[in-house]
Amino acid sequence: MFEITKLIDVSKCTGCRGCQVACKQWNQLPAKQTLNRGTYQNPPDLEPNTWTMVMFQEASDETGALKWLFRKTGCMHCTDASCVKVCPSGALYYTNLGTVALNRERCVGCKECVSACPFEIPKYDGAADKVAKCDLCLSRIERDMTPACVKACPTGALQFGDKETMLQTAYRRAQELGGNASVYGDKFVKGTHVLYVLQEKSAIYAGLPLKPTVPLAIIVWKDLLKPLSLIAGGSMLAGTFLHYILRGPKTSDEDSDTNKREGGA
Amino acid sequence: MQKGLIKVTDPVERLIHWGLAVSCLILIVTGMGMMFRSFNFIATILGGLKHLIYVHNFTGLAFTAALVFTILKWWKEAGVFAPEDVEWLKAAGGYLWHTDQVPEAGRYNPGQKVFFITVSTCGVIMVITGLIMWFPLSFPVWLVRWMYPLHALWFITIMAFFIIHFYLGTGGSPGSSAAMFTGWVTKDWLRKQHGKWLKEIEKKNKLEILGGGKD
Repeated sequence: MFEITKLIDVSKCTGCRGCQVACKQWNQLPAKQTLNRGTYQNPPDLEPNTWTMVMFQEASDETGALKWLFRKTGCMHCTDASCVKVCPSGALYYTNLGTVALNRERCVGCKECVSACPFEIPKYDGAADKVAKCDLCLSRIERDMTPACVKACPTGALQFGDKETMLQTAYRRAQELGGNASVYGDKFVKGTHVLYVLQEKSAIYAGLPLKPTVPLAIIVWKDLLKPLSLIAGGSMLAGTFLHYILRGPKTSDEDSDTNKREGGA
Repeated sequence: MQKGLIKVTDPVERLIHWGLAVSCLILIVTGMGMMFRSFNFIATILGGLKHLIYVHNFTGLAFTAALVFTILKWWKEAGVFAPEDVEWLKAAGGYLWHTDQVPEAGRYNPGQKVFFITVSTCGVIMVITGLIMWFPLSFPVWLVRWMYPLHALWFITIMAFFIIHFYLGTGGSPGSSAAMFTGWVTKDWLRKQHGKWLKEIEKKNKLEILGGGKD
């Protein structure tokens, strides 16, 4: 099956938050009362009931005039996903479209994915004792529909299609924009299934890691210590057994007189 | 029980020992059920992975309590090496290769001391890392991430020592398990395992013999 990708062209985003609302509507995520914190960005960050949102960032252009940077954030759908790597229950899994989906039924609320994700995407829902995150509208894309956010986007900032086409589109668009524009996503974690076309240098965007990777601690844990624990446990069991049959148990003098044991101490 | 057996442990010691041992075993089994998806079936017995986590976490608290008692009870006897312990360790207690002379051990042989020190330090690390993993959202992400490999690393160590300890307490040294079940062992066994200690208590006239009172 072919892999799909969502492309976020931040240069075309007007911060209308249509995607944010459409996501809530399709996934039936009721809004929560929030406080005015002096910014249009609302809620402050992703939440168990907000799987995607527009980040509002104020920057200045060459002349020093105010310039808005809008960036839709949400799950990046990594090919090498830390969350899938750590999930003990298999609740987080790769779909055959390349995305990372979440089976809430199986989630046990261990929060390991919350710590593991280099993008800090999964959010823990205390009331349900489960995590929540974007599944790229699996219920829609499985039926050949575009994700709700893409469907709602009025400016064409969000596009959706097969991976190769989206990559080509992204690089063409970055070239078209020129300057500091770049494509973000395909070079990390074996390629994400959400791509950004960033108009400014990627370092300027708040909350966007420069070099997201599967954390070293997670690699040491899952790829090194986990197999090592089986090897160690197995060799210990084998070792004690071999000790018993080759060297023999430690017996006291009287025992060994009556019960001579070849090689016994 | 036959007459002439010698008392080597008191009930409090045996209770602490088994509190630590049983909780440790439950933690090992449930922890494996969590770490390996192929061992998830362990969770099925308990009614699902969520219950397994509850069992693991609360057993961890019991383990913590047992660990505190363990350290308080034994650190003086088993946590401090004596100068003559070096010889015993060089000979590996006579367990691994042939040695003509293995120094006689006191109440705890240096191998047991190594075991005690390892389990105590590993145990403390397991409790700390485990608690942070239990409430990961209350700690910085970089810290929480390293708790998982640390917990796994010391799990490996504890499990390895657990297996050796189990072997040496049963088949590897016949007669030993009685010390932790009834508390009464044969004089022969005591001479073999803790000869120095036997001489000490004989000298102090503190030998407690079954059926014979203090001799």
